[in-house]
Amino acid sequence: MADPPKSKGTKGRFITTTVEVEGRTEQRVVELPAFEPEPWGADAQLTHVGARAIRIDGPLKTTGRPGYTTDVRRPNQAYASIVRATLPRGRITLLDLGAARTLLGVLDVIVAADVPSRTRLFNPEITYTGQPIAAVCATTQAIADAAARLVRVTVDALPFAVTVEQALELGPVRARLENNLVGGAPLIVERGNVDAALARAEVTVTREVRTPCALHSAMEPHCAVAEWDGDHLTVWESTQGIYRVRDNVAKALGIPLTNVRVICQAMGGGFGAKNLAGPHTYIAAIFAQRLGRAVACVVDRAGEQLDTGNRPSSWQRITLAATRAGQLTAIDLEARIPIGVGGAEGGPGNIYHELYACPNVRTRETSAFVNTAAMAAFRAPGHAEGSVGLEIALNALALELGIDPLALRLKNIATRDQKKDRPYTGNRLDECYEEGARRIGWHEREASKGAALRAASAQAGGARGQHLKRGYGVAAQVWSTGGGPPCYCNIRFNIDGTADVMAGSQDLGTGTRTILAQVAAEALGHSLDGVRAVIGDTASAPYAGNSWGSMTVASLAPAVRMAAEDARRSLLEAAAGLLSVSPNDLETRNGRVMMRDTDRSLSFAEVTGKLGNVMIQGQGSRGPNPQDAGIVTTGAQFAEVEVDTETGVVRVLRIVAVHDAGRIVNPTLAESQLEGGIIQGLGFALFEERRLDARLGLPLNVGLHDYKMPTHADIPVIDGHFLDGADPTANHVGVRGIAEPAIIPTAPAIAGAVADALGVEVNELPLTPWRVLGALRGNPR
Amino acid sequence: MNLSINSQLVAADIEGSTTLLELLRETLGLTGTKRACDIGECGACTVLVDGRPVYACLTLAHACAGQAVRTIEGLGAPGAPDALQDAFVAEDAAQCGFCTPGQLMAATALLAENADPSDADVVAALSGNLCRCGTYPKIVRAVRRAAATLRTQTHG
Repeated sequence: MADPPKSKGTKGRFITTTVEVEGRTEQRVVELPAFEPEPWGADAQLTHVGARAIRIDGPLKTTGRPGYTTDVRRPNQAYASIVRATLPRGRITLLDLGAARTLLGVLDVIVAADVPSRTRLFNPEITYTGQPIAAVCATTQAIADAAARLVRVTVDALPFAVTVEQALELGPVRARLENNLVGGAPLIVERGNVDAALARAEVTVTREVRTPCALHSAMEPHCAVAEWDGDHLTVWESTQGIYRVRDNVAKALGIPLTNVRVICQAMGGGFGAKNLAGPHTYIAAIFAQRLGRAVACVVDRAGEQLDTGNRPSSWQRITLAATRAGQLTAIDLEARIPIGVGGAEGGPGNIYHELYACPNVRTRETSAFVNTAAMAAFRAPGHAEGSVGLEIALNALALELGIDPLALRLKNIATRDQKKDRPYTGNRLDECYEEGARRIGWHEREASKGAALRAASAQAGGARGQHLKRGYGVAAQVWSTGGGPPCYCNIRFNIDGTADVMAGSQDLGTGTRTILAQVAAEALGHSLDGVRAVIGDTASAPYAGNSWGSMTVASLAPAVRMAAEDARRSLLEAAAGLLSVSPNDLETRNGRVMMRDTDRSLSFAEVTGKLGNVMIQGQGSRGPNPQDAGIVTTGAQFAEVEVDTETGVVRVLRIVAVHDAGRIVNPTLAESQLEGGIIQGLGFALFEERRLDARLGLPLNVGLHDYKMPTHADIPVIDGHFLDGADPTANHVGVRGIAEPAIIPTAPAIAGAVADALGVEVNELPLTPWRVLGALRGNPR
Repeated sequence: MNLSINSQLVAADIEGSTTLLELLRETLGLTGTKRACDIGECGACTVLVDGRPVYACLTLAHACAGQAVRTIEGLGAPGAPDALQDAFVAEDAAQCGFCTPGQLMAATALLAENADPSDADVVAALSGNLCRCGTYPKIVRAVRRAAATLRTQTHG
């Protein structure tokens, strides 16, 4: 049967629109909502939205029982363990499973011949260290792990590449590749004429910057529990997208989509690495089918750090050109990114086209496939690493021009969406800079440095203390945060007057349930505890997209509000009948239907109680974004650091962050995410780096001890702030995303502060003591 | 072997190699204590043994014979939280919540020893507990808030 014609000019309620995800643009058919509520403007009088409501699932999380996948215990559940490759490239010549099979308690072992090809499991061609080779299932996790260690693998080793340079010299690093370049060639994006602008530039600077490969390292590893009931499969999965996992599983196993149910009631962090089903999902489902019992496959920590995604490292060479007065005239980037065996996402180039106003911009990204595990989106993929190069180069330009780094940034604010030549729905980056500068004391920083130095000397008694240098840095961010369709919400009133808010979304730890409840309670005129969010189950809630790209609130909140307005309309009609008045005479407040200008009222429970099993419901959907304006969150962060020039240790003393993200539904939850992004950015700046032995091709630090993440002891004073306001042009709730913007400026702000403290740049992250000392001795690498 | 878990006497027939974490999560179904690294690198499995915080993944169950083990299930319940749990909720000190039981147990041990910890005391006591969501500032605030609440209760 031929495919149906591609519907370009779909008519009526179903139209084609553009949606941005993680810096990519996608065309989608969307349904126009049946009605569009009046936007909540900046001055809307709201009760629940904007309030510091307590996280609804806080009590469950503080008692250890919110329902993580790793804690699912089904009757007679068995446990799987994955056997992984221990070298970067080769061909398996012998797989000896005998010892594993005979271990007491082992139930099953599977290899390539036992799995559907669409799962892509257990390829005998090894293309990276950590690649799954086989899997074992046993009655306990300990036995499964022990049996996995008994599998003997014989491999013919093959030449490999783990750096871009190696990849460009070597033949294809895996089958079905013509060469190792992602997309077959470097990705070049240019606006204006960079060569011409560079040729007539008044001032230019060039810098080379390196950023490390960073690992997501969520505390809950990737995991799935699978259980079959006849030909129906239920999968509990720690995921950022229950509907996407459902799709992945059905396709990989070749079973109908409607036979798969995916559940995620709580998950222990994702940060971009949990957007798809993975080998663990398919392994659990296949064992569960073969054995006729529930099977859990929890990736162990080494596997988690080896093979569940990463932010690839980057090498960036940046040339900036400007007028003597500090107007940017050209931005030129050349970048090299070893992405692993797959998983391409946005590279560092995008932010170079967006953050600063500049007529001539060119980015040349050479992304290469190499024999390391596939990359995955990691909180602001591309932007987090691109901003490091761009901001370091901008600081160099400021120094060259003799202009204050903040003043140079203020001169070059992009007030329009330059990539698409259109305005933004809102962008108050200038206010973010000003407010941030005020909070950190930017303009008094030289005096503060002197005072700190005097205090340190006094404390240490005289000459001591001179080795502690203080510095200040600033960096900014832009990130598309409009969210978009498709995204649905259903609301139903229960007989006791409470309302269920149902959406096929999930909570990564961001507070999705709380946000949904706040928006629904607001639009219903309900109390917050009269509303219950039902998420994380494809069987009980309509479609919502992945929680990625800082999209959840911007996508979901308008659908929730519309569903609530729809349900409220029915509730008022029902109440009007009971009170023998017109619905127009009624309003709702705090769980009561009130008659205007009288003291007559009914509680929601009285209305629904009288209705009996007549159910009040509401339907909501997310309409398309405005196509003639870009929707972004912007912000500025400032860092104050102290560098010990004797030990090379960098201590971040303070981060000030000010962002413009439209309306903030819950300031407490927003601040939590902002602090979290800043702390991950601090880790990226100072500690985090997956080290590879380029000679052996092996990752060297795949545990949480050797891969250094920030701990309690590393945390500076964080002053995180969102500008008041709303963005009613973006959507009728006035919201934009916040999760990824938080991480983008932190590392470059810290790098700028370190350079300010030392008077010497350190242009390779992380800023470890040996790199700092090396830079001080004129040898930064 | 016999031991006390959350004030209940437990008799367990387990192998010598069984860790305290396996005993809790697999044998007894007490899944509140989390397994995140299983090699003593993250602190998510922190429990108290005779009041002392230990990594349950590095502790052999038999080594706890005759001792009193306290886990997150031994603190308050959702409807009746203890002061620390209450403060964690009030300060939003749990994002994804996966490290939270370990943080709470380490904090419980701290408050038993030090009724009025400074920020630095909290940081020192909890630095073996990683949090990838970056909830650290709010955890410190929550522990100090709970300490203040408990001091008021004691003296009030």
